Amino acid sequence: MSGRRSRSRQSSGTSRITEDQINDLIIKLQQLLPELRESRRSDKVSAARVLQETCNYIRNLHREVDDLSERLSELLANTDTAQAALIRSLLTQ
Amino acid sequence: MASANKTINTDVPAKDIFALHFLQSLSNLRIQNPLNSPEETTDRVKKIKMAAYISMARAAGGTNRLWSRALLRRASKENNKINRFSRRKRKVTWQISSERRGRRSSNRRAPVVEEVAERLRNFVPGGGGMETSKLMEETAHYIKCLSMQVKVMQCLVDGLSPK
Repeated sequence: MSGRRSRSRQSSGTSRITEDQINDLIIKLQQLLPELRESRRSDKVSAARVLQETCNYIRNLHREVDDLSERLSELLANTDTAQAALIRSLLTQ
Repeated sequence: MASANKTINTDVPAKDIFALHFLQSLSNLRIQNPLNSPEETTDRVKKIKMAAYISMARAAGGTNRLWSRALLRRASKENNKINRFSRRKRKVTWQISSERRGRRSSNRRAPVVEEVAERLRNFVPGGGGMETSKLMEETAHYIKCLSMQVKVMQCLVDGLSPK
């Protein structure tokens, strides 16, 4: 782990990423966030805000996966043969 | 593959590819451990969750992406831990040393951005070892895949829910 980190540090010295490239990536990220997608380029959202919202969004998605896993577990435990057949039919499609 | 850094592939796998992977691993879970067996519910939930993330990583190109590679590696470690308890637990700390923080904030970019980026590193698999621009790129792809995963799981839940 530490080896990889030190390598990335070195490369950051040699191939420096321009501000423009970072800004492009920030805009790209921003467009993926429901919270910030609406805002136009005119009212510029700060990079820090975009990254902050990105963290929040990922955390929410992780929570949703948690919840959905729980529900799936319940559903699969309770409904058996008929639904299992449904899954099987989906698989063989 | 050699010129992969020129054209960044941000394509997200089709929903059905993920769904197929996921359904397959779910049915494998059923065979290994019939879901109505007296297994701990928390274990079952954990397994389903893991199946979902692994399916997503596989559908997203397996080891071609940094995040999916990290996720798969972490999952296989986790799996080993479940199967054999003897594995030595190696503690991975994601904390940034103050030395590293100082180095990063001395960049031209605003220090606040780097601080938030450090937070982001904890949310993206494998993010700890990524350069900031790479981190953002991988994050964009990760978010796309993750939201697709949520959609597919929601569909599955809706489909299985009693009408």
